Amino acid sequence: MPTFLITFVSVLAGGAAAAATLVGVVNAQTGPPGDSPATVGNVSIDETSYGSTQ
Amino acid sequence: MPSWLPWLWSTVLAVLLLGPALGRGYVLSYDMVWVPDLTLRPDFLGVGTALPRAVPSDAVVAVIDQVVPGMVLQKLVLLGTLVLAGAGAAALARGLVGVRADGEVAALGALGGCAAATAYVWNPFVVERLVLGHWPLLVGYAVLPWVALLARRWRDEGRLPLPLLVLLPLGSLSAGSGVATALVALAFGLSRRRRASWGLAVALLAANAPWVMSGLLHLESARSDPAAATLFAGHAEGLLPAPLAFASLGGIWNTEVVPVSRTGWLAVAGLVGVLVLAGLGASRWWRSTGRSDRAGLIGLWVVGYALALLGWAAPDAVGWLAAEVPGGGLLRDSTRLLGLCALLPAVLVAHGARVVRDRVAGAPGLVMAVSLLLVPVATMPDAGWGVTGRLDAVSYPAEYAAMREAVGRGPGDVVLLPFTSYREPAWNDGRKLLDPVGRAQRRDYVANDALVVDDLVIPGEDPRARAVAEALALPAPDQRAERLRELGIELTVRDASASGPEVEVAGEPVASVGTLRVVSLGPATPRTVPLGWTVLMGLAWLAWLLPVAGAAAAALARRRRAAPGGHPGGSHRAHHAG
Repeated sequence: MPTFLITFVSVLAGGAAAAATLVGVVNAQTGPPGDSPATVGNVSIDETSYGSTQ
Repeated sequence: MPSWLPWLWSTVLAVLLLGPALGRGYVLSYDMVWVPDLTLRPDFLGVGTALPRAVPSDAVVAVIDQVVPGMVLQKLVLLGTLVLAGAGAAALARGLVGVRADGEVAALGALGGCAAATAYVWNPFVVERLVLGHWPLLVGYAVLPWVALLARRWRDEGRLPLPLLVLLPLGSLSAGSGVATALVALAFGLSRRRRASWGLAVALLAANAPWVMSGLLHLESARSDPAAATLFAGHAEGLLPAPLAFASLGGIWNTEVVPVSRTGWLAVAGLVGVLVLAGLGASRWWRSTGRSDRAGLIGLWVVGYALALLGWAAPDAVGWLAAEVPGGGLLRDSTRLLGLCALLPAVLVAHGARVVRDRVAGAPGLVMAVSLLLVPVATMPDAGWGVTGRLDAVSYPAEYAAMREAVGRGPGDVVLLPFTSYREPAWNDGRKLLDPVGRAQRRDYVANDALVVDDLVIPGEDPRARAVAEALALPAPDQRAERLRELGIELTVRDASASGPEVEVAGEPVASVGTLRVVSLGPATPRTVPLGWTVLMGLAWLAWLLPVAGAAAAALARRRRAAPGGHPGGSHRAHHAG
């Protein structure tokens, strides 16, 4: 793959990653409780779960 | 030091990590469900109603376990994956080294190779995905370094290395691993030689043809619940905030599969240790590696890291992709492609170990270098012995064989009850696994593909599973049975030991063995597969198989050509014949 192309893609991806990090940090600190996953979907306590994020 | 040492060291690491998993029985952990004899069925070929999450891996296992028993095959796959991964990382670290500006070859030696193998095998990505049962992803991870080396050779020499035609399909046993393998092949294989680049693109398309074609046939259902992106996003791990957890190849969404050592200071120490060794080797690596190879490794690291960050930082955006763009659900488990980030540190620590060995003379230098290369093991010790027993091998209760016989073969399909996805059977020491009943019997089956995470239900995508759920919600057992028969269901198999809603379905009991109850609902209307689907999937499988068959034929032809001309292979045989 041409080096300039990889450099270009890397810069783009790096920039996107940096921006995403910033947005994520801000969101995590300022997001309202309404955005919490706890308010999404149906609650099921009667079956084996796939996993836990807590 | 001998060049086979990294192979030996990788084997030691693999045995240490797998431990009891190599004993008699089956390792059953979350999505990793192996059975004694997996029957090949239409669903495994990609013509079922569910998204092709296990295409082509299930079909490959079903075919190979006709020759090799399932239990042995699982051991071979797990052990071979880790050994191949470690040896591949060592080969990549050593293979990328070129001639330095001053004309000296910057040999890494076996020490550098072992350091690369350790970093590539003993890390959170491997351990956590292993416990979560993502073995096809790990097979793909294992072939990444080899694909990088072979694609690079194709790029530089313009001649197709035959092993690549085998490794590309092997690295594409699932959608996630196929994408990772393709990215590595493109990063190292693309060049200005148009013919080689087109050839590589065609080879990649062929290697991924089964799941790509099946995915295209399921476009209507290839959209996931956007809420799942939040639940499946990578996140902080113990003391490491998400960005650092990703940098250490951890941060998986499911905290249940995270080793305890990753939740404390050891994880920080492990990251620091790897960073120090990588930092020590960075300059040496930069000077001894070609520009294209450097760019390839850095580019892959950036892509893997950026995807993990994206899922964590912008889950809504990923959720939108999963919900609106068919196939966008591939990104919802945002650390799935973090394996792309493992190549660069593995190569850097190889150089770091060599730098330490060169700068500190004599035995102290060797001791220091070996100590540093063992940092990943020392800081995640509980990954050893089957992740501290979590990968223990168990035997199926005898009732599974009896159930298999009772269900038999036939045109009608099977529904698994309770209609829930995961089980925690006592005979698996209470460890979670995907309901094994479906794979243990021979018919096509419908399992619930809705997932429960944090007590929240993530709806599945399979329209037939949804229809079955609706049928089970009908008010009377007779109505349920009738609707299920219309959906092509002839039998139900209920696991009485599993948790989940008790729903009665009218039918004739066929067998009751242990905790398993088989009930016949009567003759069903068999589900038909559109002819177009069969033809298209047939072509996709042909495309997947042809390169492998072509490589085998070409290798045989080369051997035959070489034999009479005094090639080492030919003279070897002649020597024995004489």
